[in-house]
This record gives sequence, C-alpha cells and structure tokens, in this order.
Amino acid sequence: MSQENKRHYDVIIIGGGATGAGTARDCAMRGLKTLLVERFDFTAGATGRNHGLLHSGARYAVTDSESASECIKENMILRRIARHCVDDTGGLFVTLPEDDLDYQHNFVKCCREAGIDAEPIDPQEAIRLEPAVNHEIIGAVKVPDGAIDPFRLTVANVVSARKDGADILTYHEVIAFERERDRIIGVKLRDNKNGEIITRYADLVINAGGIWGHHIAELAGVRINMFPAKGALLIFGHRINNVVINRCRKPADADILVPGDTISLIGTTSSRIPYDQIDNMDVTPEEVDVLMREGTKIAPALAYTRILRAYAGVRPLVAADHDPSGRSISRGIVCLDHAKRDGLEGFITITGGKLMTYRLMAEWATDLACKKLGKDAKCRTAEVPLPGSELEAHEGGTVMTHHKAHVIELSTDQKAAEERHGSLSSEISYKTLADEAVVCECEQVSVGELKYAIDSLHCENLINLRRRTRLGMGTCQGELCACRAAGILVKANKCAERTLRDLSSFINERWKGMYPVAWGESLVEGQFMSWLYEGVCGLDEIALPEDKIDAK
Amino acid sequence: MKYDSIIIGGGISGLVCGISLLKAGQKVAIVSSGQSALHFNSGAFELFGRKDGKDISNPLEEVARVPEGHPYAKLGIDIIKKLLPQVKPLFAEAGITLVGSDTENHYRFTPIGMFKPAWLSMLDYATASSPDNLPWGKVAVVNITGFLDFYPDFIARGLNLAGLECETRDFTIPELDTLRKSSTEMRATNIARFITGEAIRHFAEEVNRIITETNADTVLMPAVVGLFDEEPVRLLREQVTRPLYYVSTMPMSLCGMRAQMRLRNHFQHLGGSYLIGDTVYSGDLDAGRLSSIHTVNLGDMALEADRFVLATGSFFSHGLEATPNKVFEPVFNLDVNVEGPRSGWCDMDLYNRQRYMGFGVITDDSFHVYKNGRRVDNMQAIGAVAGGHDAIKEESGGGVAILTAMKVASDIVNGLK
Amino acid sequence: MEYQENTISKNNFEECIKCTICTVYCPVTVVNPDYPGPKQGGPDGERYRLKKPFFYDEALKYCLNCKRCEVACPSNVKIGDIIQLARIKYSKHPPTLRDRMLAETDVMGTLATPFAPIVNGMLRMKPVKKIMDSVLKIDDGRTFPTYASQKFSSWYKKHAGSSQGAYPRQVVYFHGCYVQYNFPQLGKDLVTLMNAVGYGVQLLEKEKCCGVAKIANKLINDAMRDARINLKSIRKAVIDDNMQVIATSSTCTFTMRDEYLHILGLDNLDVRDDIMLATRFLYNLIDEGKVKLVFKDGYQKRVAYHTPCHMEKLGWSIYSTSLLKMIPGLDFIQLDSNCCGIAGTYGFKKENYEYSQGIGRPLFDQILESKVDVVATDCETCKWQIEMSTGMPVANPVSILAEAIDVEKTKMANGIDV
Repeated sequence: MSQENKRHYDVIIIGGGATGAGTARDCAMRGLKTLLVERFDFTAGATGRNHGLLHSGARYAVTDSESASECIKENMILRRIARHCVDDTGGLFVTLPEDDLDYQHNFVKCCREAGIDAEPIDPQEAIRLEPAVNHEIIGAVKVPDGAIDPFRLTVANVVSARKDGADILTYHEVIAFERERDRIIGVKLRDNKNGEIITRYADLVINAGGIWGHHIAELAGVRINMFPAKGALLIFGHRINNVVINRCRKPADADILVPGDTISLIGTTSSRIPYDQIDNMDVTPEEVDVLMREGTKIAPALAYTRILRAYAGVRPLVAADHDPSGRSISRGIVCLDHAKRDGLEGFITITGGKLMTYRLMAEWATDLACKKLGKDAKCRTAEVPLPGSELEAHEGGTVMTHHKAHVIELSTDQKAAEERHGSLSSEISYKTLADEAVVCECEQVSVGELKYAIDSLHCENLINLRRRTRLGMGTCQGELCACRAAGILVKANKCAERTLRDLSSFINERWKGMYPVAWGESLVEGQFMSWLYEGVCGLDEIALPEDKIDAK
Repeated sequence: MKYDSIIIGGGISGLVCGISLLKAGQKVAIVSSGQSALHFNSGAFELFGRKDGKDISNPLEEVARVPEGHPYAKLGIDIIKKLLPQVKPLFAEAGITLVGSDTENHYRFTPIGMFKPAWLSMLDYATASSPDNLPWGKVAVVNITGFLDFYPDFIARGLNLAGLECETRDFTIPELDTLRKSSTEMRATNIARFITGEAIRHFAEEVNRIITETNADTVLMPAVVGLFDEEPVRLLREQVTRPLYYVSTMPMSLCGMRAQMRLRNHFQHLGGSYLIGDTVYSGDLDAGRLSSIHTVNLGDMALEADRFVLATGSFFSHGLEATPNKVFEPVFNLDVNVEGPRSGWCDMDLYNRQRYMGFGVITDDSFHVYKNGRRVDNMQAIGAVAGGHDAIKEESGGGVAILTAMKVASDIVNGLK
Repeated sequence: MEYQENTISKNNFEECIKCTICTVYCPVTVVNPDYPGPKQGGPDGERYRLKKPFFYDEALKYCLNCKRCEVACPSNVKIGDIIQLARIKYSKHPPTLRDRMLAETDVMGTLATPFAPIVNGMLRMKPVKKIMDSVLKIDDGRTFPTYASQKFSSWYKKHAGSSQGAYPRQVVYFHGCYVQYNFPQLGKDLVTLMNAVGYGVQLLEKEKCCGVAKIANKLINDAMRDARINLKSIRKAVIDDNMQVIATSSTCTFTMRDEYLHILGLDNLDVRDDIMLATRFLYNLIDEGKVKLVFKDGYQKRVAYHTPCHMEKLGWSIYSTSLLKMIPGLDFIQLDSNCCGIAGTYGFKKENYEYSQGIGRPLFDQILESKVDVVATDCETCKWQIEMSTGMPVANPVSILAEAIDVEKTKMANGIDV
C-alpha cells in the first residue's frame, strides 16, 4: 500500500450537496482534518434540483412549526453569510378567489408564532409590488422569502472548507466501507472518471448523501427508511416575477413561483416514487400539465411565456425509526449516531431537512462529530461569511478590480460574473482580449470566468462548468456556447476525445430537459440544436462517455 | 400587385424555384420573413447521405428506394435524374461553385473533425473521397486568435484518427485588431468583412509563415473568407504556398450566408422582387384556389398571382409551428401530416430519430397542398415544409429543397395542373 | 388542457432562438467594437435588465435604430425596439444641449429660416465648425444641410394652397422638417406630381416634427407632445375629412406608423394604415388603373436607388423602385441594401462621426463605381450623407418623377382640367 493510499482523516464526509459541503466547511473550520467525497459533481443531486427558494418558513408555518422556525432563523443567517448567493426579493402568499380566505388568518398567526414577519397587505398593494401576480387575488401576505442559488452556495462552502485545509474529491464514489469489527475506519472509493480504486481512512465517516444516503447506509450495514418524493419544476425563459409568489393554502402542487437569477421557476409536483427510480428523473406530460394548470393561476403570464426546460428532484423524506410504512414522515432534520442506534461506531448520518437548513444540519452533524472525536470547538458558520460574501456590496461597487481595456464601465458579462462569484470574481483574470470574449451569450459567461472555474472550482467537464457559471443555462440551452466551452476545456484537459464525448453528453442532457416542453420556441431551439450538432458537426457519431459523468 | 408566381419563403428552396421561374420569363416575387436557415449551412448540400445510421456511397441508388410519401418518391427517379444535371449550372450562374457527384458521395470535414457524407460541396472546402485515404499529408490547422467558433483540437483529433500528422496554430493580422476588441462580435461573418484587399496578403503571409514553421503539406482553416462572393477565397488560395482548404465553423456559416446572398442577388438581377422582413399572414382561398395573399408590410394591398409556392421551411423558419397540443402551418392553416399527442413527437435522446423532423404539410404527388381535405390547385409546397423526410437522419435536406423547387418551377412553367 | 397557444413576450424577445443572424446585418458592430451588437444588446441583454437595471449597458447609445436586425430576424423579434426602449428606460445619461439642438428640428428650423443665407454661411465657416466641434461635440467633418430662406408652408400658402381645392380628389401632405426648412423644392415637386394625376394637396391643420430625432435623443416627453399633436391632425384629416396622409420621407412615415406605436406607446391603429409614403399612394393608384403617368420624350438618366434603413423596415422600396422603373429612358440600378451611416442625428455627433462614415463606406464605394447621374432615395438624411460623402447628387423619387413626367399630358390622360 502506497503512502498516498494510507491518507488518514479525522472525518470523511460523503456527499457533495449543500449539506455535505456545509458539513465539510464546519468540520474544517473547527480544525478537523476533513475529506469531502462526492460520486459525481457538487450539487448533482437534490441540491441542484429544487426551487432555489430562500424560504421564510411561512410555507411550513401551519403544518410544521418546528421547520418554520428553523427556516426563518437560517434565512436570516444566510442573508448575512451568503450574500452573493441570496437575492432578497421578498415573498407574497396570495389567496385566489377559489381559495379559502380564512386560511390566511391562521397562516399569519402561525407565522408570527414561528417568528416570521408576516404582514397581511391589501391585494392592490401586492399587485403593485409584483405585477405578475394574478390580479384576481383576494388576499395577500408579505413574508421575508427570497431566492438562493444552491450551486453558488454549495461551491462557496467547498471553497471555504478548502481554505481551512479540507481535501475535496469529486467523481469519487463510495463503493464499500473499511471496517474493523463494529467500527467504520474508512471508505473504498472508485474514481468515476477512470475506474481507479483508492481507500481513505478516518476516525469518523459522515453520511450526507441525501436520498442516496439510504444506499450508503446499506453499504455500511445499517438501515434508514427513506421515502423518495419526486418533485417536478418548470423553468421559464426570463424573470416573470421579481417577488416570490406562493399560494396561501395548504401546501400543494405548483404553488410557488420563484425568480431565480435570470429565470423564473414554478413548482413543484409531489409524488412518491420507488427507491430504484431515484436516478430516473424524467418529467411526464401529466406533470407539465399540472404545473401549468396550477401555475397560471398564480401568475397568468406563465400561460404565454416560453418554457426553457423541465426537471425533477427527489426529496429525502425519512421515516421515523420503527415505522417502515413511512406514515409518520418527518421533514425535519435527522441526525443519527449509528453507534447508539445500530451499534456501529465511526459512522453518523445527517439527512432529512432541506436546502434552507443545510447549515444547521451541518452544525448538528459537526457537533456530534466533535463530541465523538473529543474535539472542543464551537460552530462559527453562522457568523463567518462564506468566501465571496465577505464584502458588503458587490454591485459594481467594491470589487471593480478588473476593467475592460476599451470601455469605461464593466461589461455585462463582468457584471454577471460579480453577481455569480461575489468578491471572488476578483480572481477572474482578464489578461488578454481573448479572456474578455463571451462564450455563453445568454448567461454572459466569459472565457476568463470559465478559466477561473476550471482552475479553481473543481471543473472536469461541461456540466461542472454549467453549475459553476450558468454556462448553457440560458435561452438557447447551450446551443451556441457548448462547443465554444468545449474548445476552452480541451485546452485545459488536453484530451479531445474525452471533451468531445463530454460535449455530446452535455448537449443531450440539455435536450432531456427541453423535450418535455418541446413546443413553440423550445422545439425550434431543439431543431436548431439537432441541425448544428448532429447535422453540421456529426456529434451523434461521438460515443457517450464510458464513465458515468453524472447522475443523469 | 400582380405576379405570375409568388413564393412564400426566401431560403434555398424558394430562391432556386424563383430563379427557375424567372429564367422561364415569369414575373416572380418572393416574400421572406427574415433571413433563412441557409445561414447555417455546413458548406455542402446532401442528396442522400445516411440510412439506418450508415453512410451511403451512391445517393442516387438510395433516392430511388425511398418509401412512398417521401418527396423523392413523389418526384420519381426519372424526374430526379433529369433535374440533377441542372443543379450545378444554376448555382454557378449565381456565382456559387459546387463540386461533387450525383452518384458518389464524398466526405466533408465537420467543425469538430468528423467526416460526413456530402453531395455538393462549396468551393475549396475540406472534402475527401474517403476518410480512410486522405490526400493531405501533414496538416497545419490554423485558427484566428480569439475566434471561438472553430476547434483546432477536435479537428486535429479527427486527422489523427485518420492517420494524419498535424499541428495546430493560431495567428492574427492587424486588420482584425478593432474587431477583436468586441467581446461578442468576433464571429465568422464579421471576420470575413475584414479579410479583403490588403488584408488577404497579410493573411497569406501569416499562413505561409506557419507552413514554413510546421513544414505542412496542407492547411486547414476556418471558413472566414469570402462573405459576399468567392473572390477572396480564390485570392487567398493563390497567395498561399500549399493547398488550403476551409472547414465550416459554428454559426454563422459563412458559406451558407454567401450562398444566400449570391442566390438572392441573382434572383433580383433576373428581375425578381424579393420582399425581405415581411410576413404573409393570410390568403384569399376560395374553391381550392388561392387568388391573393396579404402581408404585414403591404397591408391592404394584396399580392396577387396565378401560382403560389410555399417554401417556408420547417419549425426553425416558422413554416410549421407547435403548441403543446398541435402542430400547424401558420400562414394558411393547411393540412399537416401530424398525428397523435406531443409525447410522440420527440425522443428523449437527442441523437435518436425525432419524429417531428418529418412533419410537414400534406401534399399530393405533385406537391399541391390541402386545406380541410381539399386540394389547393394553384399552390405547391417545396423544401422542408413539404415534410415526409428526415433531413438530419437521411442527410437529404439540400437535395429535397433544391429538387422539389426545380420540379415545381417546371410544373408551373409547363402549366401542369 | 389548452395553454401556451401563443408565446408572446414584450417585443417577442423570448422568440429569439439565438441564431445570431441579426449580428450579420448590424452595420455598427463591424466598425465599433464597443457596441455589444443587436443580439447582446437586444434579447440577451433584456433578460439581464429584467433581472436588474444594473445590467444596462450605456454602449447601447451606439445603436443606429436602423432596424436592419429586425428585418433579418427569422423569428420576428423586435430587436431594435428592445434596444431603443432600454435606452429610454435605463440610460442614466440625460440628453446634452447638443442632443437637444439636433433633436429640436422645429425650433432650430424656425429660428434659422428667416436668416438662412447668414446661418448657412456661418455653418460652413471653419471657426464656427470648430466651435461646434469642441463645445457642442458636433463633428466638424460634417457638412450641415442648408436652410431655405422660405419655409415650405409659407410657399404653399402663397402659391399653391388656394388652387388645390379645384382638383377632384384630395390628399394630405405631411412635409416634415426637411421639406419645411431645408428643401421646399421636394414639397413643390410633390404638389406638381399629385396635381398632375388629379389630386389636390392639403396640409395638416397642425404639423410638428415626426419626432424621430427626439426619440433618438431620448427626449421622450417632447416626442410624445409632438406625436399627439400630429396624431390629432392626422385623425382630423383621415377620420373627419376622409383623406389619406402622404409623406416624402421614409423616416417620418416609419416613425408615425411604427415608432409612435412601439416606442412611444401611442395607439395609432385607427389611422396607421392611412399614413403612407407618397410613392406607395401613387403606385397603388396606377396599379388599380385609377391614374396614369405620361412621361416626357427623351428623358435620359442613369439612376441608382438606395434603400434607406427605415424603407427596408417598411418593406416599401418596391413602390418607389417600381415607379422609377416606369420612366422610359431611366437606366435603373438597385444598390445593395446597406446603411449609409447617418441615421438622422447620429452621424452629426462627434463621437459617432468616424463610425458613421465607416458604416456608409460600402454604399459610397458602390455608388462611386456605379457611374450614375443621380442617386434616388426616400430619406433626407441619407441624401445629406451620400451627397457629402460621394459628391453625387441625390434626389427623392418624387422629384425624379416630377421631373420626368409631362405635366400637361399627364393631366390630360387623367382628365384633369385645372
């Protein structure tokens, strides 16, 4: 066994979602020698497949007061520590003529009990605040909702963990645990890019695999009952609304419309699926119909706004122990010490919860880890801003360290890069005119920004680049930029074969989101994509990657 | 305004049809809603390139074998054989040099270094009779510094797989300095505007320097020369010391745009009226006869004609449109060949056959269109909107567009009902 | 379930499928790398501006508003409108004194015409040009259009107005600032031509500048005020008096038909179809067999037609060119459709002068190569630009027609005895 293979950590965290990354950050900040492993890319699971809603907690106020108060506390913390990931849009809970206005009274009462600043306002005032809302509304409540970018948030946590000495391994999948009697002592990892197997050792392994944590626990020989719930969403071509619109009723299908960066999202549906279907996230025509039927009620503009794509994610709902039926499901945080629960030392699971409470989940898991490892260190993740969010204002104010050679103000792509990376955007170098060239024209991603992402943000392929920068997330869904980005990536990885396969799978992945909504301009765009990449280029003749590049 | 024939759609099919009609002495107008899909041409036209995922060597053989309902089947092999010899001369008159054979496909080299079967390629594009036996020797793949729509590394991979040695280089010339300052507009067509006159000489000097440095036998470069005509293409070739060939870029496609401009100029030169940026929104259709059409720009002034040709293209050009529940022809609401709900239109895998590619208006064997089951006696559909073929999977789009256009033009001239 | 039967966004910006065809036809991007181009400035930028006004790019001021991007777009995206509306909505730079002076064509014209010889002389003087260049940032390379000593409307009142009622049919003429203050001869030619085919020419009760220069210089309130006055007069003419309104400027026509509606948001749909270019009006009458033109014997001229950008957008050059082609002895040449670079007041501004001339160069070269006697075009600012940049005479098709017809024989052929 080589020296490299004997690497020993205090803690290994499995799962590159927000929870895993947040836990890695917390552990590293508390001085633990930390390794974060992820089988594909950061945010490839549920973290990257939700609304991107900075919940005020109001949605849970009536049904789950504990979640509601957790949410509002974390909401306020994230506004401080993750400024560059948060868009303070505010939110509305609106009552439609078909809804019961009485619900609103109880709703406001429950919100206030949970510490959420819910303010009933005149419907006309709500329409003035957000003209996209259905003008027929009979009631409206203002709440401190916002939008949060889960990709940025997760990567900022990773960067923070790295700064505090954590090691990061993406595309490394846990295939087995190393055990010593009733103790987990390490993990066996397969490099999903080349199939190599390595082993890493630690005093403690934290399972932060979300819904996939069920499988990870099984590998460790313990059982957690998870009940996957699929939620489908639609992405619209531009910002229809600038304020989050929720429907003021018992949570149901398609009752939240969130403005996320340059787009708006409506969601979600909710359906229980068998566990073996969790990697199969196709959106059905029926789900699209439900989202449109309900969504157009809260914002009529959806009925005639271009839909860019449809996607679905899985919520990891955890059944209470000793309830295999899943009837008493909790949406709250579940932190399991398997030593206590199952007699298995060196292994804990952090699951349940939601994107909003990722930091709190990380805190719980790290608290438990520290306790078990005998480390006395306080959590500081609620006070210390994430990398990129250190500075107060990043809107063309403090971070203007880079300039175009030939214009007086920042170009649109440079402004966009600042929005995406906050103060970290100063690390993007515009050494030459070529670095200033725009690759993704819809989402304003420059060559310089891509190079920064390749060098500093764990980017192996185009999908990684998309998640770090919004490359290919705009109107044309990569039709114009994917090939350009591949041309830049290949300069870094020096492997044309791999990059072409990557390009082929990237384009196909984009289409998979487009085809459930392939009518109108999305069908035109799809045809254009086929003409270019299959017709002109012959990309269909390039085999897909042999390794699994991503969950999909 | 009265014409003998009016063509709706000013892309390749509409222009070929219009030119053919003008040459027969007709008074012709083309109404074109914006520029055409020809702008994305690959540098070649295909007659029939692939079947069941396999390359076809003799396209004419395959054309003779297409199933019923395919535009080629409607044309019939005899007519196709009669029309084929007229294609190259027609393009040559417009100033477009095409090379290739009707009975033996050649291969074109794609922007990502793949080889695809082609029927007629534009002047000096990188083509070969077979990818297994490339006559290029050692290749220098040159790019213009900062040009993002050309991929020397992928081209090099393609050449290496074909057993050729190659080197990639990039360079620039001072004439491009201004354009380079733009962060978005360094596009093939814009570059081409600057490579004229003196700049061609500077360009050639740089290419020659690279030839000397790399000792290359052949040079491949992005198609960024000759926006308006082929003259700069020839001039550059003359000044470069080794054979020089062009590889098409990602959009815009320079060769496609040049073809569009040449054909349009030719059409106008022959006396045709080309109404660009105007949209036909309705027609006066009575008893199976269309008497006139109305456009947005001309308003209450109808355009009248004896014959109408629908050359509006596929979805991209809005010859067809789709809502969640239906596909329709947006100008006249003609009958279309689409059945079933949208779940059957597309395949989840982009590279599988997409049924929607074959969508189009319903036509009889002489390409007359139908509305509510009734034939429109003086309107025919040509090109992509005629449907019944998968231009991508078959590599048949160019052939269908050109041949249906010529056939319908000759029908009109011969007064065929 | 029925939804998404149409996907309509404001100015159709969501219809954009990022094909980049518009970028090929933008005359500005190739000469000015600071301009982000129609795609980036238009639909791409709009998504970002909807997110935050912070993303507005002041470089959009370089847009000529030529609308060639819209003509080229296969997806019917109103790219030019998106950019103009963004400038109006988001630009933080208020119009300068220079912008106001260039835009206030009425005020400047009214001030200048009484002193035309002096003003014209001064505008040609080097020191004056230098001062305008350095103080006002009006480029000293630019030749100013000369002011006429008598306004067109004054001439009309004195010499033509009273006799118009004698003609069997009537039409209203929107002369515009150029005919009014700089070149009344075109208005006189229009009267000659229309009278010859039996139409008396009336003027609007009250006419203001169409507003194109004010819109271009973001003087939106002023443009609105003028537009409302014009629309009121036009409504009176069209609805009350049952006359159509014709103009000799493609830009005035385009502005009143389309910019009032799309940029200023003024509903003109009740009269829009009745505002048209004189050549369209005349062509229609001839096409329907209602009137005839009889041309002089021995007319010989080689004429090249330049399609102004707004004419291209209107899609109406077919009328002007068809009329010119009717003239026996006229050797007609169609120039490639290229922007001349002036774009109204754009080319007068010092910061744009070089770009303006660069944009026009392909057109100028083609004109100089074509060896024609005269260039015909329907736009007055194109006329200034081409005359200044090529030294070739430029005439409106109406003037060429007025010169080419045999007035008496035309009157006879149309049964006019006035």
